[in-house]
Parts: sequence; C-alpha cells; structure tokens
Amino acid sequence: MALTVPVRLGTAENTLIEQLNSVGAAAEAERITVAGLPTRRVESYHYTDLKMLLKAIPPLAQAANEASAPALRIAGAYQLMIANGVVQAASTAPAGVIVGKTAGGVLSTRDDVLVHLNGALAKESLTLTLENSVDPVIQIDRRIEGEAAHAADSVKIFVADGASAVILETFSGSDAAHVGNHGTYMALGKNAVVTHVTVDLSSRSAAHFASNEYHLADGAKLRTLVIHAGAGLSRTQVFPRYEGAGAHGDITGLNLVSDGQHADITMDALHAVPGTTSQPLFKSIARGRGKSVVQGKLVVARDAQKTDAKFMHQGLMLSDEAEILSKPELEIYADDVVCGHGSTCGKLDEDSMFYLESRGIPTAEAETMLVRGFLEELVDPIEDEALAEALHGIIDGWLLAGK
Amino acid sequence: MTTPILEIRNLHARIEDREILKGVNLIIPPGEVHAVMGRNGSGKSTLSYVLAGKEDYEITDGEVLLDGENLLDMEPHERAAAGLFLAFQYPIEIPGVATMTFLKAAINSQRKARGEGELSTPDFMRAVKTAGTELNIDTDMLKRPLNVGFSGGEKKRAEVLQMALLQPKMCILDETDSGLDIDALQVVSKGVNALRNGNRSMLVITHYQRLLNHIVPDVVHVFSDGRIVESGDKDLALQLEAKGYADFDGAAA
Repeated sequence: MALTVPVRLGTAENTLIEQLNSVGAAAEAERITVAGLPTRRVESYHYTDLKMLLKAIPPLAQAANEASAPALRIAGAYQLMIANGVVQAASTAPAGVIVGKTAGGVLSTRDDVLVHLNGALAKESLTLTLENSVDPVIQIDRRIEGEAAHAADSVKIFVADGASAVILETFSGSDAAHVGNHGTYMALGKNAVVTHVTVDLSSRSAAHFASNEYHLADGAKLRTLVIHAGAGLSRTQVFPRYEGAGAHGDITGLNLVSDGQHADITMDALHAVPGTTSQPLFKSIARGRGKSVVQGKLVVARDAQKTDAKFMHQGLMLSDEAEILSKPELEIYADDVVCGHGSTCGKLDEDSMFYLESRGIPTAEAETMLVRGFLEELVDPIEDEALAEALHGIIDGWLLAGK
Repeated sequence: MTTPILEIRNLHARIEDREILKGVNLIIPPGEVHAVMGRNGSGKSTLSYVLAGKEDYEITDGEVLLDGENLLDMEPHERAAAGLFLAFQYPIEIPGVATMTFLKAAINSQRKARGEGELSTPDFMRAVKTAGTELNIDTDMLKRPLNVGFSGGEKKRAEVLQMALLQPKMCILDETDSGLDIDALQVVSKGVNALRNGNRSMLVITHYQRLLNHIVPDVVHVFSDGRIVESGDKDLALQLEAKGYADFDGAAA
C-alpha cells in the first residue's frame, strides 16, 4: 500500500484555499490542498520555492479608490489601465484598435500554480484587437492600489495578419505588501510584428507574478523584453509557441536585483512546426544579497524540423554575496535542428574598468558605462525612442540607487 | 630649474612575490621625448602600468612626481585628470559603449576634475572631427563601439586621437608600434609628432628602433632587469639595434 504523506499547509496556502473557495474555484482550491505551493522539489520552481518565499497572502483586492502616480510615462503613448483587477474606462482608441473586456481569465490551462490562480481569480480581462499597424506605443498600466491586496488581472491581445505594434505593460501601485498575479495572452497573425515590453516597477514589499503566453502564426515576428526592477519577489513566466512556419521570437529579459530581492524569469518555449526560429537572451545583474533566477526551456516538437533556437543567459555580479542561478533546458524530439544554450556569469571586467579610469572617468561612472554597455543588446533593438529612453531611465535609476 | 614633468625616484614594484621594477630613476623635463628600450620581460610595460595606476602591482619603494605632484597617491582617473596619458599596447575592446560616448565622458570627467565647465556638444563634435581628420579617422569608425572590431592600426590611431583630445602633459606610449604596418606607423607617428611641444613630455616604450626613426627622441634609455642601465642620445638606439641588448645586461651591476 502506498503511503501518502499529507502536505503541511502554511498560512499562505490556507488563505489561498479560502480565497479560491470564496470565488467558487473548488478544483483549484483542492489542488492547493493536495499539493501545496510548489517547493524546490518541483523542477520549474527549483530556484523559486514559493512555499518558502510566500509567507502570507493579503485579502482579495477590492475596487481601487485612489491611484498612485503612473510608474512610467511614454510621450505619445495610448494608455489603458487595469486597477485592482478592474478594467478602467479607456479614452478614444487609435484607428484600428478595438478595446473591450470579457469575463474571466485568458491563459491556456497548464500545470502551473500561477496560471491556475490567475485563471481562477481574474474576474475580467481587457481585450485588445489590433486590426492594422498601430503607430503610438500602447501602454497597459496595471496597478494594485490601496491596502495590501491579492489581485489578479488579465489581458488578451489579437494582432491581425501583417499588423505591427509596440505594447508596453507596466506593473506598479501603492507601497503595500501586495501579491499581483497577471496574465497576458497574445496571438500574432501571419507576418505580424510585435514588440512587447513588460516592466515590473511595483514596490519592494510586493510580490509580482506574471505569465505571458504568445501564439505566433506564419512569419510572425515577436520581440519581448521582461524587466524586473521593482518587487521584492518577482517571477515572470514567458510561454512562446511558434505555431506557423517562419515565426521568429527574440525573447529577452532582465533581472535587476538588489539586497533582499528575488527575481525569476522562466521561459518555456514550444517550437511546434517546421522552420521556426528563436533567440532567447536574458541578462541578470545582482548586487548585495540579491538573487536572480533565469530558466529557459526550448521544446522542439517531433515535426518541427529546421528549428533554429539558442538560449543565452549572461549574469553580472556586482557583489560577492549576490546569487545568479541559471538553468537552460532543451527537449528536442525532431532530428534536424540547430539548438543550443549558453550561460556566463562574472564581474565587471577589470581591464575594461582600468581602461576607462585611465582616461579620467571616475570609478562609479565607469561602472555605469560598462553596465549600460552590457545591457545595450537588450535595449538597443527597441526602436521607439521615447520607450528606449524610458527603459534606460529605469536602468540608470537602479544603478544610481546603488542598493 | 623648471619642475620636470615626470620624475621617478628609486621606484620598486612587484606583482605577487615577483619584483619587476628594481629601482627606476628617470627625469623628463618639459617638452622632451624620452625612449625606453629593452627586451621583452624587462619590465617596460610594467613601468607604464604602474605609472597609470593599475591595481595588480604593489609599489614597495620610491616615488613618482607628475609636474611636482605625488602621482602614486592618486587614483587612475585622478592621474588622468592631472595630465597623465597611457597609450595602451593593447587597447581594450568594450562592446556596448559607443566610442563618441566614451570620448565625451573622458573629456568632461577630466574637465570637471580640473574645475572647468563641460564641453558643449557642438564644440566636442568639432574637436573630434578636427583631430580625427589628421589621423584618417572617419565618422564610421567613431560610430562603432569602443575599439570593437578595430584593426590593429585603427586601435592605435584611436589611442592617438584620445591623446589629441585630452591634451595630456605627459604621454606614455607603450609599444605603440606593435601591430602596425609601415603606412599605419607613419600616420600614428605623424599624429604623435603633431602633439610635441615645449610643455608636453613623452615616454616612448618600444623594443624596436624603427619607431624612433619616426618619433625622434631627445634621450634614449636602456631598460634591463627592472631598471635603467644606460642612457644616451638617439644614437644609443642605433647601437642597440646593431649589437642587441646583450652588451647592456648587468651594465648597472
């Protein structure tokens, strides 16, 4: 007879079970009751042990009564807002953009606790249909305001065949111990070209979770950039699915972690059909006792011949106590593919530092130049100047804060 | 007597347990160009790094004055602002840092350290363009990341460009001829010679006499086993070329 040891549930798990039952999500509640939050024994949470890291879950979010200042303003951007899980009224949309909302969450079912929680707790979703190319940056400003709250929200975006767009999502809110769980589902039509930037700027006391799912049709080109620069605990899951021949993804991300912070970018990509390519490139910069985690999995289906995909992670340690953890995974069922992975980690190059200093550039400024140089590969491809400048501002702000 | 631009007194330095500089004495008056010649491993490049302030070396004895100021007490960037410039034997490639951004940061950092105002962008662009023309450096090269993908000649020309823009009092040229063909050597030498004047001094480190046909020194020093063992005029370089370094080994012993 098999012996089953019941999982000991902690405060956070008990609150989650209560919250799930209160919204009628009995199946999800049961799942937590049986399995608990994932620990390091669950492979995809090996470095981000949620049972350890999530001590408490605040009450489910109520409608927001007040709003903090926008975390990021991009000149000329078309702005949409979701506050405490509620889609806010939008201003007149640019031509070809249809804004709406639907009930419930948007993410496809998968065996992942954050995805399940988002599906169960997101009451409504912002929907965005882009019928043609959109010039202004579309900014989706996602907030959690007021007292500490557990908020789930979601966004569904359809990009028509041949259309192009730059979409920025920012996550911010009041300075409280929020837990945010955000979902974004994006379908790119044939030959659509999309840049999707998601920036976490929530407060240090918050926990930020996001799951971004992408479906790419024939010839679609996607560039993503995840930046973690806010919450004490953050994890963004990126799930690109290359479903049409010629689809290409530049999936990129950056963890900026300081003392006491834990940031995790986890990619799980599926090359489903022949002739698709991707270049996942992630960078980590850690100082103090900060911890950065980057996991990248490339799955190549049996039929997906001629897949060309390479995962790369580069870490920069600015202190001896910092931790950078990287885990590439390849799961390849086809036999004619070019796939690879690489990971490097180190300090700022001493020879480069000396060269800059020998020209009169003081140490702190030389460090900033080298760090900016290290990150240029991620920001440089963002063609919208105002957006690129704002991203530089976030990076410089982090560097200047120095802790 | 005028203050020498560079004065090195009994300088000893080591890396880990190995002593490399074993009592260097050298005085370079304003406007003079001194050459230091020596075989590989004699400590010539160490001397240049120690003067520029590279961390790896421990100074065990001696002192260095730059225009009367104690150089060894300064950080590398302070030495630069005080007027010291090292043209690297192997300039460092720095991906992601645009050459122009670097040049502007270097110029303005030094100006700031000296209490001068920042150079305006138009003035900066004009200065770079003027200096670049002399050295056959086009704007394409300046648009690239610092030294990345530059040929050997381009790297050395970029070093001289920096020297021309930063206007140092004391230039140290570490094996500037290495990796250069004859044409590039001429361009670089011409650039260096254009910077010679009555106030600026230079220390040219090389192991071939060839460079000294182009940059003619006032004084030649022979470096052996961590110190200067012989000094003379430019003919000393010719003797060295003819007879090799063997005759000078242990000359100071």
